[in-house]
Order: sequence, then structure tokens, then C-alpha cells
Amino acid sequence: MKVQLIMKEKKMTIKILLVDDDLDILEQTKLMLESKGYKVVTANSSDEGWKKYQQEKPDIAVLDLIMEEYDSGFILAYKIKKASAEKKIPIIILTSVTYVTGLKFDAATVEEKEWTKCDAILNKPVVIDELTKIIETLISIKQSNKQVNK
Amino acid sequence: MPGHPKVLVVDDEDLLRTGMQRLLEMEGYAVDVAANGTEGVSLGTKGDYDLAIIDLKMPDKDGMEVLKEIHADKPNTVCFIATAFASFDTAIQATKLGADGYIPKPFSVEELLQQLQLGYKKRLLLLETERLRKDRENRLLEIAFERTRMNTIVNALEDGVLVVNKNGEAVLYNPSALKYLPLNEIFIEEFIIPKLNPQIAALINHYLLAEEYLPQSFSTQLALDETNETFIQITCSPVPHPDGTLAGVVTVLKNITELKKIEQLKSQFVSMVSHELKAPMAAVYGYLKLLSDDSITLTGEQRQKFIERSEFRLDSLLKMVNDLLDISRIEMKTVHREIIDLNLSEIIKTILELFSLEIKNRGLIVCFFFLENLSSIKADAEEINRLFTNLISNAIKYNQTNGRIDINISVTENFLVTTIADSGIGMKNEEKKKLFHEFFRAKNEFTKEISGTGLGLSIVKRIVDSYSGKIEVESEFGKGTKFIVSLPFRTSMKIEYFENEK
Repeated sequence: MKVQLIMKEKKMTIKILLVDDDLDILEQTKLMLESKGYKVVTANSSDEGWKKYQQEKPDIAVLDLIMEEYDSGFILAYKIKKASAEKKIPIIILTSVTYVTGLKFDAATVEEKEWTKCDAILNKPVVIDELTKIIETLISIKQSNKQVNK
Repeated sequence: MPGHPKVLVVDDEDLLRTGMQRLLEMEGYAVDVAANGTEGVSLGTKGDYDLAIIDLKMPDKDGMEVLKEIHADKPNTVCFIATAFASFDTAIQATKLGADGYIPKPFSVEELLQQLQLGYKKRLLLLETERLRKDRENRLLEIAFERTRMNTIVNALEDGVLVVNKNGEAVLYNPSALKYLPLNEIFIEEFIIPKLNPQIAALINHYLLAEEYLPQSFSTQLALDETNETFIQITCSPVPHPDGTLAGVVTVLKNITELKKIEQLKSQFVSMVSHELKAPMAAVYGYLKLLSDDSITLTGEQRQKFIERSEFRLDSLLKMVNDLLDISRIEMKTVHREIIDLNLSEIIKTILELFSLEIKNRGLIVCFFFLENLSSIKADAEEINRLFTNLISNAIKYNQTNGRIDINISVTENFLVTTIADSGIGMKNEEKKKLFHEFFRAKNEFTKEISGTGLGLSIVKRIVDSYSGKIEVESEFGKGTKFIVSLPFRTSMKIEYFENEK
């Protein structure tokens, strides 16, 4: 009981930056994540996402891949990773097509994670349990890394 | 005598000459006579005689001289020297000068006929030799010609060709082969395999190193440069000896860069379409998930909104599939076109009537200017209707409330020009560039409530292009957009002109 309570409290402090150019998807994912107890800030484009990142300083970012350009998600991920070098903000990319220019990508290996500048790639439509599981895992890795660094 | 051999008798003695003529004509020869050496040379060089009997001693010209002159022109005329001063020396001298026989005077009839028969046989052999020699010359010419022709053809091929023998030595190649291999030079009979791209070498070695003759062809594709700018397809085929063993290998190198590009564009389009189709499905799926999730409490208002949004997304999905089908029909040119005389102003009036409710709801003012009888065009009614429906629909959708739309039809020398200007949201420069791309939609605060497939202008462009027309766009962000569609009517004008002339 006690452990659960702590988890719940912790979750409340987790702030997610959610960026998607599809307003319906944005609203749905926000609702679902909020129902799981996260704080969610949303943005409707990669430009807005970048602004929101700087204003809100989220703990984790969930980005749509194809927005204005086919690789908008990757570019935003790169910017956030570069700006958050100290804090190492975990990034999850959401996409509905893994083949865009005949290029297959994934974030399974270290090289791929390095190249795509993200920690996980999830397929759309979003399955909320899958998404929350990955969020939890990435947050706990981040936390344990912090412990080690200390 | 078969074939009536032609004989020339040259003698200054009248009796002998006419006597010989009569005798030979009776024997079936065709005989001409000459009374002196000069006449003899003139006849003997003009006519092609089978045989000639030339008197040795003539007042104007020596018989040997006559023989020499005739032979110089007609080497295959068999010549006899006739003389009363028969001597061994003259016989030898005559033969040395090319006489084929020697007829002593007086001669016996039998002896003469026998000599002539032998002479005629010789004549036939000479002619046969001549014919064979000419044949051979012609054939050599033909072969040389064949070879040049083949070289010309092989050299003119856009595809590269390289032929190697069974030892892997170059036998034949063309300039394109140098380009695609790529090599600076190839020497005939040099061992070429080590100089080739390893993949091509392996393909050729497949035949050269095989224990048995391989009858099938093998192909492979490779990028010529590291930047993947040129792709070639390599096809190797065996060349057999008549006994079925391997003589060599022909390698054909084909530039398939354009094909690769089309392939790439196609797969790009397919992933674009997949993405565009999946987006609304994902949105609807998400709403259904939310509506069916008991752990999430929704207000009645939220539920109602989610159902409406789902319907909206499904509706646009349906429109998009229809647009895609239209594009594919235009692309495949399977559209059945009925080219008829159309009155563009009538078409636009009908479209405006169909949109009258939307126009009224948005409080728009529409000004339509055209000159009566100056807006006819030959085209397919459905396509022209589609073209202007898409443009007018955009002018309404992307307009400001209480804005205006100006439509104007005018005529230039070659084109019927229609401009459709709105006072709407306009476009940024970077948006203008992508305007006619499939699935491109300007995304900003204003457009997010406007439904669209991102295919409407792409269809417009395709229709205009298919009539060899042009479409231009002028736009200022926040001020409005003007589309200028020029459709050529030149063909129809010409036809009218010719009809009037009649």
C-alpha cells in the first residue's frame, strides 16, 4: 500500500511534453495520460513544442514524427537532447509509418538511439498501457542514473 | 557449236579471210572480219570476242602488235597467231606475248577447228575464273561491310556491351561499356576480368569457371558510384560454339537510374498515402478507445464531441480515398474523355449556385465578370467542373467571414484565362512552393478547423496539365490568394478557321 502511494505521488510530479500536429490525437493522448495521473502539456507543432519545452521544462517528451516535415519529430528530439544535455530528458517518438523514404528505423540498439536522438519509438495508434510502461521505465532509468552520478 | 562462239578474223588476204569466215560460219561460229591490223584492234577492243585469229604479217600493223593491243583491253579473248612463215622462233615469240595458239598457213580444216575448239574451252575456263574472282571480291567486300555495320550498331547502342572469350579476354566492346564499367580503356585480347567491378567479374566467372556449359542468363543491379546517382543493370549471357561448348560471355550494361527514381517516387508516394490514411483511422480509434474505457470519466459534452470528431475524420478519410481514386484514374489515363464545346461561364455559374448556402453562411460577396460568348472551350465537362469546383471551394473555405471572391474570365491570344481571387488567409512563400504537392496542407491556427484531403489542388494541377494549360498562384499571407488558370483553345480556333475558309 505504502509503495503504491509513493508511486502515485511521484507520478504527479512527472510532467510530459506531448507534441502532435493532429489535434484529435493530441487531445486523446492527453486525456489518457492524465487519467493515469501524469501532468501533460501539449503543443500542436514542432515550433510550439520547442517553445513549450523551454517554458515548461518537462521530465519527458512524447513527440509525433511526421508533422510539418517527414522528420520534424527527430529534429525536435535532437534540439531537446542538445539543450538538455545535463538533465538527459527521455524522448519517445510516435509514428504511424516506419517506412518513410524507404528507410526503416527503430530505437532498439544503442546506435539507433544515438542516431535518432530518442529513447523509444512507438507505433500509432497509441496503446496507453504500452506508452505508460515505457514512460515509467525511462523515468526510472533516469532516476537511477542520477543516483549513480551522485 | 553450242552458243555460237564469237570469232574475229584479222587478215589482209581477202581470199583467206572470206574463206575462213564461210568455213567457220558453217561450223556454227559467229564471225567478224577485219582486213587490216588497225581495223582488227578497233573491232577486237570494242567487241568481247571469244576467239581471235590474227595474221602475223600485215602491211599496216604487225600481228603481234594487234594481239598485244587486244589483250591489253580484253585479256580473256583467246588469240591465235596465223602465219605462212611458220618457224619455231615465231611460235615461241607469239606464245611469250600471250598468244594462246599458233596456226601455220596453209592449214587443214580439221587442224583449224580442233585448235579453235580447244581455244574455246580455254575461253570458257578463263571466263569462269574471272567470275569466281569477282565473286570472291564481292564476298570480301560484303564481310567487310557486315563487320562495319555490326560495329556501327554496337557502338551506337545506349547500353554497354562487352564480349569476352572463354579465357576472359576482351573480344568486343562499345563506348557505352567504358562509361558503365567504368574503365578508361579496354584492349582487345587483354585479360579483362581483374579490371572489372567484383560483382560483374563474379557474374562472368560464373560461366568461365563452370564445369559444364550454362545456358541461362544472369542479372544483377548495382550502383555505379557511392552517392547512388547512377544505377546499372548487368546481364550476362553465354555464347556457345556450334558444338555446344562455351565460346565466351556477352555482358550487357543498362542504365536503370530513371527506373530506380520512379520506383523510389512510387514507394515514397505509397508511404505518404499510408500515413495520410492511417492518421484519421488512428484518431477515430483513439476516440473509440476513450469512449469505451471505463476508467476514464467523460462528461456528456465530451462524449458528444468525440463522436462528432470521429464522424468528421471518417468523412474526410472517405473524401481522401475518392480523391486518390481520381488521381489514379487521371494518372493511368483511363478517364473516358468526352471533348465537347463548353461554356465556362455557365459551368462556373452552376458551381456558384451549388455553393450558394456556404457563401451565404460565410457572408461572402462573389463578383463574377465575363463577356458573353467569349468563354467557350473544348474540353471534358466533368473535368472542367472538377477543376473549378476545387478552386471555388478553396476560395470559400479559406476566406475570411464577410470576405469576397472575384472571378474573372478573359481571353488572350491563345488562352482562356480564368482568375479566382479570394480575400482569405493567403499563404506564406514556403507554403506556396508546396501548394500542388500531394497531401500538402498549410497548417496554422486558421486552417485547423477546415477539412481537406490535401489532394484538391493536386487534382487541379493534373487536370490543367492534361490540357496543356497552366496554373499560376499569387498570394500574400493574411491578405488573400489568386489562382490564374490558362486553358488553351487554339485547337478549336484553328478548326473554326478552316471551316470558315471552306
